[in-house]
Amino acid sequence: MRRRSFLGAVAGFPACRPKRPRLNVFNWSSYVARNTIPDFEREFDVDVRYGIYESNEEMLARVLSGNSGWDVVFPSNYLILPMRENNLLAPLQHGWLPNAGNLDRRFQNPAWDPALDYSVPYMWGASGILFNRSLSPAPASWADLWEPRLNGRITMLDDPAEVLGACLKKIGESINATDPAVLLRAKEEAVRQKRLLRAYLNAEVRDQVVAGDVLAAQLWATTAQQAMDAASNLAFAYPSEGFAVYADTAVILRESGRVRLAHQFIDYLLRPEVAAAVVRETRTATANRAARELLREVSPALYPADDVMARGEWFEALPTPAQRLRDRLWTEIKAA
Amino acid sequence: MNRLRALFLAPVWVIVGSLLFAPLAIVFLYSLLTRGAYGGLAPPWTFENYQRLADPLYLGIAAQSFLLAGISTLLCLLIGYPLALFISRSGPRKNLYLLLVITPFWISFLVRTYAWMFLLRDTGLINTVLEAAGLIREPLPLLYNPAAVVLGLVYGYLPFMVLPVYAALERLDLALLEAAADLGAAPRASTLRVLLPLSWPGIRAGIILVFIPCLGAYLTPDLLGGGKAMMIGNLVQNQFTTARDWPFGAAVSLALMMPVALLLVLLLRRKGEELL
Amino acid sequence: MKHWLPVHAAAVFTFLYLPLAVLVVFSVNSSRFTAWTGFSLDWYREMLRNPQLAEAAWNSIVIAAVATVISVSAGTLAAYALWKRTSRLLAGAVYLSLVTPEIVMGISLLAFFQWIFRHLDLRLGMHTVILAHVSFTIAYVIVVVLARLRTLDGTLEEAAQDLGATEWQAFRTVTLPLLVPGIAAAGLLAFAVSFDDYVITSMVAGVDSETLPMVIYAMARRGATPVLNAVSTAIVLAIGTLTLLSARLMRQ
Repeated sequence: MRRRSFLGAVAGFPACRPKRPRLNVFNWSSYVARNTIPDFEREFDVDVRYGIYESNEEMLARVLSGNSGWDVVFPSNYLILPMRENNLLAPLQHGWLPNAGNLDRRFQNPAWDPALDYSVPYMWGASGILFNRSLSPAPASWADLWEPRLNGRITMLDDPAEVLGACLKKIGESINATDPAVLLRAKEEAVRQKRLLRAYLNAEVRDQVVAGDVLAAQLWATTAQQAMDAASNLAFAYPSEGFAVYADTAVILRESGRVRLAHQFIDYLLRPEVAAAVVRETRTATANRAARELLREVSPALYPADDVMARGEWFEALPTPAQRLRDRLWTEIKAA
Repeated sequence: MNRLRALFLAPVWVIVGSLLFAPLAIVFLYSLLTRGAYGGLAPPWTFENYQRLADPLYLGIAAQSFLLAGISTLLCLLIGYPLALFISRSGPRKNLYLLLVITPFWISFLVRTYAWMFLLRDTGLINTVLEAAGLIREPLPLLYNPAAVVLGLVYGYLPFMVLPVYAALERLDLALLEAAADLGAAPRASTLRVLLPLSWPGIRAGIILVFIPCLGAYLTPDLLGGGKAMMIGNLVQNQFTTARDWPFGAAVSLALMMPVALLLVLLLRRKGEELL
Repeated sequence: MKHWLPVHAAAVFTFLYLPLAVLVVFSVNSSRFTAWTGFSLDWYREMLRNPQLAEAAWNSIVIAAVATVISVSAGTLAAYALWKRTSRLLAGAVYLSLVTPEIVMGISLLAFFQWIFRHLDLRLGMHTVILAHVSFTIAYVIVVVLARLRTLDGTLEEAAQDLGATEWQAFRTVTLPLLVPGIAAAGLLAFAVSFDDYVITSMVAGVDSETLPMVIYAMARRGATPVLNAVSTAIVLAIGTLTLLSARLMRQ
């Protein structure tokens, strides 16, 4: 902490201005390389305040006030619409983002923000099954996660959209289903599976899969990749019924008073060599085509082939009644 | 005196008024609104959020939370009371023992919980030791069940029972106990008949200080319960995060405080007793 | 009964210190996983190299110190006033604050700050965290100080006033010095509660006010890292030394 600004902060006054301009960036953990931020600070002669979060909810709770102090945050694609509706996002000036052309074609006009008016895709990923190779036959579909042989050695994500999504895919429906009858059937599946589950865990499960406590886990490909890098007896499957895909995007908050600098930062992240350095170190999947071309080795878990991707489905923002029903069903699953 | 008293009370009223009453009042207002199309708050004003609560699902979760919090409080009392008694009778070493009770709580609650996860895991210390000793062949499923949640709660809130009980016992005249023994009461009977009623204010404070946070806990059920059980705290947390339904979350929060307030009134209603 | 009380105490202390022992042992383990592979201080080195940890620790200390000073001052005065004549409303408020579940308190404070911010150009930051911490530590201070006051003899002050002291002088010279142990205990408790808080802090924290529990939580969520064990051991050592020092000072 800069001591000077600290005294001001304690007294409740706006921080005394440091000599260099300041940019406040709030991002997911493990989403930049070691040198990404220092290099930006040096090149643009600014100070970057870089904070990290672990879930969309954590970030949203902090920025919802419209007075959080952050300038750039990285919500997932299905939050763009709600954040826009709540007047949290500043429109982007594409004249200040010349590097946006480096994005993968798939991310040039995505469904959630067709003209990239408010968001620039940064990373993306999907959820699938991380499993121990000792399992034979290897799980290849969501339905395989209902098998009694996995009793007590399997986990699902602690996330209503993901768990219901997997159940919906298992019964051949869309992950974004809003029909109450369909959602109810998905809930039944989840309740049936709960008896087999060790727990609902997010990234925490990684070490337990590596240690061999857990044999199969519903997990995000990026987290799974970290586990596979740590232990060679693990593999990742994109389920045959289909799977959920998300993108994390860079946005500028409406409250930001440093819009120009925020654009410069986002454009800097869009440079091929910067984006490539990030994914080389963090083992995530970049939305940047030019950066991907710079990578020598591309993991099939992080970048599934086109025929696999054809089974993927993007998360969408859902209307209130569906959201409410889903929350209720999630509560029912948890209370079962 | 009145002027000085008013002066002395002014800061605390400013703090309590602005940082306790006003925030709770706002939460109450929120609880009467409706979730906006994509989260956020919207009219109309309604009691619907409270009506939604009268649902077997939520009542079941409330019952489950009361049960887990109740068991944890009881265990804290059963474990904490003898410890407090021991400390109150250990003469000059009292302060050292008190320090020993408090020291673990300087470590982040989260780190302590993770340490327990490490102890309870399949490949954790307890299972490894038991397996090495040849006592078990398959690891015991110690983690991710209600018992682990209770263990975490008891571990987390034990000092909140020990400290007030100790404070009450310390003020007691031990001569009373000896008198009871002299009059022929067996040691066990004297403990129950004399000690418990006299230390009741401490027990009462301990029950309040342990039961209430247990009731609202949400991190322990998530981390040690593996998210398989839902307590009221998790329900509230979910409304404010994944469901983004602030009005319902506010209603659940306030509904959670009603039984708490009732419990307080019951515990404190004795006539002539000072509230503090 | 005399025989099993020490046995019980020993068992409870084992229960309390088992997780701590685990933390200490694995903080000097060379492997990042949970098997013992040899002694090493690498995790302490990594801890010292982590600027985020240092800054968060500093923030936590500052927040806890400022919040403790405020709540101890206001709380002591309030306890004194309550001792003179009780107030059911204030006593009720103290209990209300003690019994409000953390999550409810955090959310209500966040809602309150958001509402204030609509009218004032302020941001979440150190000041909001400090205010939040004052709001939940002050009740502890009042309870502890009042408990100490109740053991004091009220006639001392009257005697002082009979001898010509004003009320303020009687408070300052007679009662306040006798209260010091209670105030110290209240301060320690308030500091500890503030230093460890995660739930409320995480809701009202701004850009420059990440606290140690927040950083620890973020790190732990990414998978248990031995750096956390090193941090925890360091905290216990630091606090232990401080407590021993202050105990020695108080005896002098």
